[in-house]
Order: sequence, then structure tokens, then C-alpha cells
Amino acid sequence: MASIERTQIAEDIVAKKIKRVQELYADAPEVGRVALKNGLEALKQELAASPGRQSAGRVGARQGRVSELTAIIPLEPGGGKRIRGLLDLLQGNFKGADVVGTLHDMRFVLLENDTKLLFCTTYDGEWDAYIDDFVTKIPNSMDILFCNCKGWPGIRSPVIKDWLVKNQITADAWYVASPNLSVAETWRLEKVGKAVDELLDKIG
Amino acid sequence: MNPPMLDLDDIQATILRLRPAPYFGSHVALRVDNAHIGRELLRRLTPHVDSAANWWKPASTWISVAISYAGLEALGVAQSSLASFPETFRLGMAARSKQLRDEGINDPKNWEALFGTRQIHIGLNIFSNSEEEWKRVIDIAREQYEGLSGITALAVQDFGAQPGDLNSLGYRDGIDQPAIEGSGVDPLPGYGRPIKAGEFILGYPGEAGVILPMPQPDILGRNGTYVGFRKYQSRVGAFNRFLHENGKTQDERELIAAKLVGRWRSGAPLTRAPDKDDPELGADPKRNNDFNYANDKLGRQVPLGAHIRRMNPRDSELTRLTDVNIHRLIRRGTSYGKPYDPNELSEEADEVPRGAIFLFISARAMDTMEFLQQEWINDGDFIKASGERDPIIGRQEEGATFTIPKAPVRRRIHGIHTFNVLKGGEYLFMPSLSALKWLGNLDT
Repeated sequence: MASIERTQIAEDIVAKKIKRVQELYADAPEVGRVALKNGLEALKQELAASPGRQSAGRVGARQGRVSELTAIIPLEPGGGKRIRGLLDLLQGNFKGADVVGTLHDMRFVLLENDTKLLFCTTYDGEWDAYIDDFVTKIPNSMDILFCNCKGWPGIRSPVIKDWLVKNQITADAWYVASPNLSVAETWRLEKVGKAVDELLDKIG
Repeated sequence: MNPPMLDLDDIQATILRLRPAPYFGSHVALRVDNAHIGRELLRRLTPHVDSAANWWKPASTWISVAISYAGLEALGVAQSSLASFPETFRLGMAARSKQLRDEGINDPKNWEALFGTRQIHIGLNIFSNSEEEWKRVIDIAREQYEGLSGITALAVQDFGAQPGDLNSLGYRDGIDQPAIEGSGVDPLPGYGRPIKAGEFILGYPGEAGVILPMPQPDILGRNGTYVGFRKYQSRVGAFNRFLHENGKTQDERELIAAKLVGRWRSGAPLTRAPDKDDPELGADPKRNNDFNYANDKLGRQVPLGAHIRRMNPRDSELTRLTDVNIHRLIRRGTSYGKPYDPNELSEEADEVPRGAIFLFISARAMDTMEFLQQEWINDGDFIKASGERDPIIGRQEEGATFTIPKAPVRRRIHGIHTFNVLKGGEYLFMPSLSALKWLGNLDT
């Protein structure tokens, strides 16, 4: 296909998207309508960019090498108290999670009077690649935390993957600054960056 | 001590019996067009299928039988049983190509016509240590299916009989199989502690201490296992050209060939023979796998990305929380076609039909193969080599590299290509002998 034709098609797609946004915002508050009018040029750029989002497997989204997991899980009676107490005692120290090697971050938010847990994490690769390793390597850590969740079958249960899928919600939108950097690669680059600086310090 | 705790009389021989040396044999693909005739075929075949009893004693020839999901359907297995098989097995290998990273040149759309079409229903494997016995037994197998009007023989692929039992890239292979608890024999030195039997055979506790869900009823599932069948074509020309581009002398080329695998062509591991090949070591089963990586943490002997170190990292430090004992597969590798020739450099040599056919055997073969393909074969993050892939069975992208750790600085080789191209594959279930009888006598 000629590149002129391709450009024409791409422009048509962006024009359609713009029209759709304008329709969506037709009944928006005035501040939003004005902002859309003034910010249309900048928005065009983003609407024209190629989609970065893929599926991370059964549920969840992926960008490049990185995937997201979002779950809202109802808690057992007393579960909220236990999780809150445990998280307070840990004082934000999750260094133990370093051993997993695929976790970029984890976020715990207790909702609705501590009756539900919002759990979000960003991790490398497929969502279930290492679950069997958790079973034999860190079963206690998993059960201590998640036993507070309604219906938690235990990390050793053969239905554990189904349980996780059932509680997971795919993010509707998600931004990743470095979709090609895994945790392992980030650690390696940190080390390399430091070593290069030390070398340059010695020469310079 | 590793006394027999498994029902060896009920487990098929191929699951535990090692490939003979020398070896000859065939893989036969059959389609069941009529459920009644299909079950009759099973009734005829079952008396000829060997069990794993005394699997450690040298045996001459044996037949094994495995059935795909489409095959179980074709045999008229009840819906409730069919639904009890794992989803990945039901979908089949081609449908899981994305998770298996079978993309690009390895994509199912580039496979040989027969694979991924749900036509392969029953797979027979005949292994033998002599040409005469192989021919005698394949005739026995053929007598069972030939002339049955509801059975179509789709393909027969002969294998083996390579000089020195070398594989299609010229290496001794098949060393380092997982040791299995309760299988009745102490592992040879270097094979590690025996792994719980439930990882490899259904009906026994696995490494997590629980029994995996089995196909139902129990008689169908117990003592059975899953097989991932994969056919690769070796691009011998590309492999030899790569060695020539990166090694000026024969010795340099052989060292690079050894660094890619972690063993010399003879099978001698680089940990025990770091500077030159030691064929005596390579041929000695008591010594050729007796090593770990405690003194080779940086990979200066066996590169971190070498094939054998990826497929069994042993005590290597990995960046990700990993239990190496739950990602192992029993493999029955078989070479087919023209033997390896180090002097073939042409592009035509890449297209000669020759290569390796593997049976990857495990009670969770589908999960394990997806893990291996995603993490250990087509990725490098787990060994801090982001972007690098297994040099032997990985699918390389344009500009791929392979790092050979060295003092004072590592050597990074550019332009590594895909040396083994996937030509097709199927997931099969290898039932116990009692399950074969049960299937043969199903009343529908």
C-alpha cells in the first residue's frame, strides 16, 4: 500500500476519534467543553499514537514486558482488622518481596470500613508464570496475607488460579513510562549506571 | 535410597525408560474416524504396550500410546470426562501458540500441514535398540491399525540411527533427566534429589505436597501423564555458518559450539572440562552430569545463557523467585533425517528435512512448557540477560546476541539465528495401561 494512502487512512481514524470525543463531551460541564476545544491539538497527537495495550493473559492488561493486576476482594469478618494491623506493623517494609524479582510495585487500599481490599500490582510477564513457584517457595507469606480474603482456597489449592482470575478486574486504562524495562533489567541498569559513573570519576 | 513407590506395572514404559543406545524407532500419527473402531484399535494395541516395571533394566523394544484431546473426543469419551482435562490441553498446542511464544517462523501457520489441525488423534511411539527389532515391532503395531476401516494412518516418522547417536547439530544429547522419587533407582551423581513423582505422573503428591487434579474418573487419570510433542527442523547451514563467522579455527569453533550448549559435542560438561573436550568424560554417565555451578557463578565456564544452564539452572542465582524442581520435564528426544555434517554451510542445508522430535513428559506438561518457552527459552531476564534467548531452541529475532562471560570483559556475539525451527506440535495424554483398557472397553 502506498504510504500516502496509509497516511490518509490514519488521518481518517483520528478524525473519527475526535468526532467521538466531541460527542462524548457534548453534555460535559462547561469547563470540560472549553478545555476540549482548547486542548484538541494536543489530544490529537495522543489519539494518533499506536495502541500500546495488550492482554496479560486471562485477565489484566500488558504494555511491553510489563503487566498490571487490579483486584477488589471482599474480606472475611475480621480480615480487614488483621490486614490493617499487619500492614501497620510492617511499616511499609516489603523488602521481602524483592526475592520475587518480578514485582515493580504493590498497593494495598482497605475500602468500605475495611470490608474490602483493593490490591494493585505491576509485574513482569505473564500473570501466572510464577504462581507454582510461590506455592513451593513462599506459601506461608501468601497464606498469611490472603487468608483474610473471602473464599481464599489456600495457595496450595489447585483452583488458586481460578480464584485469582475471579477477583481480578482488568484496568480500563493504564500508563507505563518504561514498558520494556523489567525489574531485573532495571536493577541491572542501576548497577551499570553506578559502575560507569565510578569509572568516569576515576578518569575525570 | 529411592525404593519403588509407583505403580510401575501400570505406567507406560516410555515415561521412565531411557532412550536406548543406539536407538531406532518411529512416531506414528493415526486418526480415528469411527469411535467403535477406535476403541477396537486400543483393545488390539494395549497388550503390546509395555509397562515401566523394571524400567532400569536394558530393554530392547517398546511401544507407547498417547491420545490427543481430539482423539478422546473421537473415541467417544463422555463429556464429563472430557471437561475434566485442563483447558490448555483441550485447546491444544497450536491454540496456545501465543503463550508458548510460537510466533514468527515458529507460528502454527508455518507448521507442516498435519499439525494443529486436530487430526492427530492417537500417537504411537516405537523405541528400539536394534534395527531388526524396530522393524519387527513396527510391523506388529501396523498389523493392529492397518485394515481397520475407521482408522487413517496420517504419517510415520522414523528416527534414530545417527552415527554415535549425535543429534542433528552434532551433539550427544539426552543427558540430565529429572530424577523421580519412588521410581525405584537412586539417581546418578549430579542428578539432584529425586523430585516428587506427582510432578511427572498423575495420582501422586507433587512438590507442593498435593495431588494435581486428574482427568476423571480416576481410572482414566491415575498413572497417566501429559506429553508435549514437538518437531523441530535443524538449520544446519545457519548453525555452521554462525560457527565459522565467530571462530577462525576448528578449535575456536568447537569452543563456541560448546559455549552455546554448556557441553562439548561429546557431552562432556564445560564445568568439568572447561578448556578442551574430554570424550571419555562425555561418555561416562556417572560423571558427565555430576556438577553444579557453585564455582561458576559468573558463567565463565558454562555461560549463564547456555542451553543446559537455562533448561536446568541447578544452583545458579536467578533474579526471580524460582523453584527449579517444578519446571523440569522428562524428555525423549529423537533425531531424524540426514546426520549432522560440520562442512555443510549452504542455505540449502537449512532446508534439508532433519532435526529433532521431542516428547516432553510431565503431569503438568502444558504449564511447564509455557513457563519454559516464556521464561527460560525466549527470555533472559531470569539470568540478567534481558533480550537474550536460548541459543539452541530459542526463536531469535533480528540482531539477537549471545553473551559469553569472560575475564576481563565478556564477549557478546551478534547475529545469532534460529537454529531449530518448530515444524509442528501437539499435546497428548499418555494414559496408564488400565486406562487404555478402560478406554478400549468404553460402552457408548
